[in-house]
Amino acid sequence: MKKGIGISRRDVLKAGGATATVIAVSGASAVVANAAEGPPRWAFIVDLRRCVGCRTCTVSCKAEFDVPLGRWRAVIKPVDWGIYPNNRRAFVPRLCNHCAGESEKGVPPCVEKCPEAQSGERLKMGDVRYRTGATYKRPDGMILIDMNLCIGCYKCIDACPYGVRYIDPSVKLKRPDREKDFGIGKCTFCEHRVDNGIEPSCVQACPHSARIFGDMNDPDSKVSKLIKEFNLDKNREKTTLLPQEKTVPHVFYIDPEGVLGRYKFDYKDKAKKQAEFRDNIV
Amino acid sequence: MIQLTRRNFMKFAAASGAVLATGEGMKSKALAGTVQTQTGRDFSPTTKKERQAIPTACWQCVARDSMIGFVEDGRLVKLEGHPKSIRGNGHICARGMAGINQVYDPDRILYPMKRTGARGEGKWKRITWDEAVTELTDRIKKLRDEGHPEKFIFHYGRMKASAAKLIGGLVEATGTGSIGNHTSLCEAGKWTAQELTWGGHFDNWDIDKTKFILNFGSNILETHTNHMPVAHRIMNAKVDRGVRMVTFDVRMSNTAAKSDEWIPIRQGTDMAVFLAMTNVVLNKGLYKGDGEEFLKYCKCTEKHDDTVENKVEALKKHYANYTPEWASKISGVPAAKIEQIATEYATTKPAVLIAYRGAITTYNGTDSERARMVLNSLTGNIDNPGGNCKAVGAGWASAKIPKSETKKAKDIFDGAPKGQPESYPFPTHHASHQVLPRIKASGPGTFELALWYCYTPAYANGDVQGNIDVLKDEKLLPFVVSVDPFYGDSTHYADMILPDATYLERYDWEDMVDPTQIGEYYIRQALVKPLGESRDFGDVMIEICNRLGIKTDYKTKEEYVQQSVDMTPGVKEAGGWEYMKKNGVWNDGKAKYYSYKKEVPAEAIKEAGVVYDEEAGVYWNPEKAHVTENKGYFRSKNAYKGYVATKMGDKLIAGFKPDKINKSGYMELWSQPLKDVGMNPLPEWIPAPEHANIAPDDLHLTTFKVVVQTHSRTANCKWLSEIYPQNQAWMNPKDAAARGIKDGDRIKVKSAIGEMEILAHVTENAQPGHINISHHKGHWAYGRYASGKKSPVGADDPDDANIFWKGFGTHPNWIIPNKGDRIAGYQRWNDTLVKVTKA
Ligand code: SF4
Ligand code: SF4
Ligand code: SF4
Ligand code: SF4
Repeated sequence: MKKGIGISRRDVLKAGGATATVIAVSGASAVVANAAEGPPRWAFIVDLRRCVGCRTCTVSCKAEFDVPLGRWRAVIKPVDWGIYPNNRRAFVPRLCNHCAGESEKGVPPCVEKCPEAQSGERLKMGDVRYRTGATYKRPDGMILIDMNLCIGCYKCIDACPYGVRYIDPSVKLKRPDREKDFGIGKCTFCEHRVDNGIEPSCVQACPHSARIFGDMNDPDSKVSKLIKEFNLDKNREKTTLLPQEKTVPHVFYIDPEGVLGRYKFDYKDKAKKQAEFRDNIV
Repeated sequence: MIQLTRRNFMKFAAASGAVLATGEGMKSKALAGTVQTQTGRDFSPTTKKERQAIPTACWQCVARDSMIGFVEDGRLVKLEGHPKSIRGNGHICARGMAGINQVYDPDRILYPMKRTGARGEGKWKRITWDEAVTELTDRIKKLRDEGHPEKFIFHYGRMKASAAKLIGGLVEATGTGSIGNHTSLCEAGKWTAQELTWGGHFDNWDIDKTKFILNFGSNILETHTNHMPVAHRIMNAKVDRGVRMVTFDVRMSNTAAKSDEWIPIRQGTDMAVFLAMTNVVLNKGLYKGDGEEFLKYCKCTEKHDDTVENKVEALKKHYANYTPEWASKISGVPAAKIEQIATEYATTKPAVLIAYRGAITTYNGTDSERARMVLNSLTGNIDNPGGNCKAVGAGWASAKIPKSETKKAKDIFDGAPKGQPESYPFPTHHASHQVLPRIKASGPGTFELALWYCYTPAYANGDVQGNIDVLKDEKLLPFVVSVDPFYGDSTHYADMILPDATYLERYDWEDMVDPTQIGEYYIRQALVKPLGESRDFGDVMIEICNRLGIKTDYKTKEEYVQQSVDMTPGVKEAGGWEYMKKNGVWNDGKAKYYSYKKEVPAEAIKEAGVVYDEEAGVYWNPEKAHVTENKGYFRSKNAYKGYVATKMGDKLIAGFKPDKINKSGYMELWSQPLKDVGMNPLPEWIPAPEHANIAPDDLHLTTFKVVVQTHSRTANCKWLSEIYPQNQAWMNPKDAAARGIKDGDRIKVKSAIGEMEILAHVTENAQPGHINISHHKGHWAYGRYASGKKSPVGADDPDDANIFWKGFGTHPNWIIPNKGDRIAGYQRWNDTLVKVTKA
């Protein structure tokens, strides 16, 4: 009925139903059994054929997190080309790419530049140990922020070539010495929803199924199938933003028309890259 | 894909301990019912607690999609599409998502207010509800006692389903029939055309089953009467099934951009292309087969029982001069393109032909829609799977609404003011945009009491200055009450404001058209209690009626809705109100097609009073229609109300049941009612009078909607206006260069009635010869996000410091006159010519 792609409603329902049942039956042993399996690797696919620039994602994200005015975690950028009457228009949805970072570094620039990237707790996800920090990478690929640890140096904002991080006037830093300063915000892949077995807010919201979220480590997942069908991870030059920055994004674009190649912004200029990550209809 | 595997479950379990609590949050007490589905769930990003889920329905636009509201600690925080809705399949749009902004609009009116300063000065004092209701009741009572209940005008902007039934019904129960609406600003011409042709209005496009989508002037992917239920189906059809979509539009809307082909067309000329496409279909014989079969049900000549050959001959004769070359000169669309699209449409079966605002907001609007229906008919794409179908929606029962024994109405809703050389023979949805000009023309004493319900007459109609002049005039409008949750451009000119509940704080049964042809029953329920002292106006009307001695079986609108729901067949058996509160939606699973073919049992015409009208081929019951002197079916007032069946050969069929107009039960491509008022019974191209002497430097001004705004009621939604803080005028680089205008320049746009300033947006997406300006912006009193001004009762908001925009745009309605199309009187939004210069 719906969702040509993406986590289908039925599947989520099944997963949820299964969860409740299994927990009730066999609680802790189930979690132990998982340890050998390893964590998921979340990926986000944007199907440019389907995006109509409706901004439902933009607003659903604002609502989910009550994001202050003038800041966004998800935006839509229209791309125009050609001369009337042969002109064309397409839309490029943007969000944090939850970059893996170059393989030798293992972390994206925002984490690399964060002085507090390792200052948090030691945790385990599946059989993978990791440490949280102000900006840190979870074993499932999510790049997350812990406001309790952030010192407000804003180095991550500059480090991200995509300009997706913002200073959040509704969040105060928790560090005693910096409590007057504001914290930072960006897309979290809706970790609070995903951890509960439901899609990110903007994925649920997208009326045209242009946003697909799922686990790349599961060969049966919709994202795995799409990655295979459209050769998304082998062809990063054409399917991700700013491939030259070697951030290894995990937001992929299905882009048969070559729209990404026409979408350019001056990401080397700090003000311009930040200004580009805004949503505005003319 | 997350599948039901051990492996998967483990991942979720590992990812978060919170998963152990799955379902827990659902147990908390909901204000109303709760729903439990996986996609209908949400969690707080800060506390990680599950949010309470309540099914309800949107009202950001008239599509009224089913949705789930999420409440956290008594505050509404999130809205999502209802996953079980067959209309929406779990989808709402950005406007719907931003509905939260309506509830927590810091400029909201939270208690009744009375004007203290001069009208329009913005000075108010707080009054109690008792004072407000007493004042309103006394004024209505006085008019009733004087025998002039009709001097109370009730004019609404947005009122549908249970709200229309109850509030509209109770207003009439006070004895006034002076009730204005706003359909003449929306799509009245389209509805009237359908009433003339196939009876009851609304064509549903069966996107799920279609193979080709041909669109004239509908920005369906950004906005529409049935926006989200249709829009998501279009993209699924395109990407999943490879269905081709072609869009004719004056500018490249997002819909045109996502179509496989955008064909620019000169404003107001869609009808010429319909006529020429019909010419192609007839001359190439593309009507053979399905078209011929359907022609049996059509009236194409004066005789309803003419042979198909004669029908085809008559059409060929009428359409002979409407060649693609002829239409090309008028529309700017190449003749070969018209021929190609006509052929593609007629040979790809089934196909939908969409025509909306772009095709009808013009002098020929009503006839344009009729011309569209001829094409549907000749290709057999009527009420068939995958074609243009007779719309199906919920058929709710209604608890009893009291009626007035006498009812009087002012004759002010259906025509142009004196002195304006226009007449509208079939204003079946009224020419309500002409009400203020007509009040002015009739002078003082027309009305003593005016009440605007969810209506902003100053902003919504053409000629804004003219509207304000009337609204300010205390002689013309001695006492004005505005019922609205928000302070705005029209409440500003009221004498008393009654704070309405927003749609997220009230109860309704809802019935908007279902794209699956099944018909979805769904409800709206309060997600939170009305803020401050605001009240659903339904409750207020019940109180007023009760005070007037008019009895009701319910004390609140919620009770009325509940009683109605519990009475409705199907829903009742499913569990009635309790079921609906929990689930929000219900349907019977049966899709309805070919309703016109249904055979009517012979007993129906044997009933007492039923007569056969030879001329119309119709069995009807004059008594039932309250016709005392039978002047024949076509010419007896309201004869359509007695329609029983249509005779086709030796069969009795349901036919295309008439509504509002005495048409036969045939698909009236050839219209007897039009002939009877001296018009061409077949669609006829008559150029708009304004366009006869178009100067080389004139531009067509057209207005449009963007994807994050509805017409007049979303500009103070902060999440929408931060994306679209101001409108700019779209101009093609050629037109801009000819006037020395660069992108971002301030320009002057001048029409016959006024001049406005706005910023230019120079873009290849605009067609030469046109200037396109959206009509959501340029508010002057509607809150901080819309106008930069806090309302007189505005509260502080944490986001105040974050408002980054300084420009609020300009409303084009200041320079667009109030006019009407030549048949229905539908406002001709897009017929205005303007001169544009650099400011
Ligand atoms: S997009 Fe920017 S913030 Fe997000 S992970 Fe990549 S570098 Fe970091
Ligand atoms: S602002 Fe916070 S998260 Fe960003 S780099 Fe500095 S400490 Fe790390
Ligand atoms: S994944 Fe969540 S946080 Fe990221 S853009 Fe979507 S809604 Fe916003
Ligand atoms: S909700 Fe989907 S279709 Fe709409 S703008 Fe976002 S990604 Fe595009």
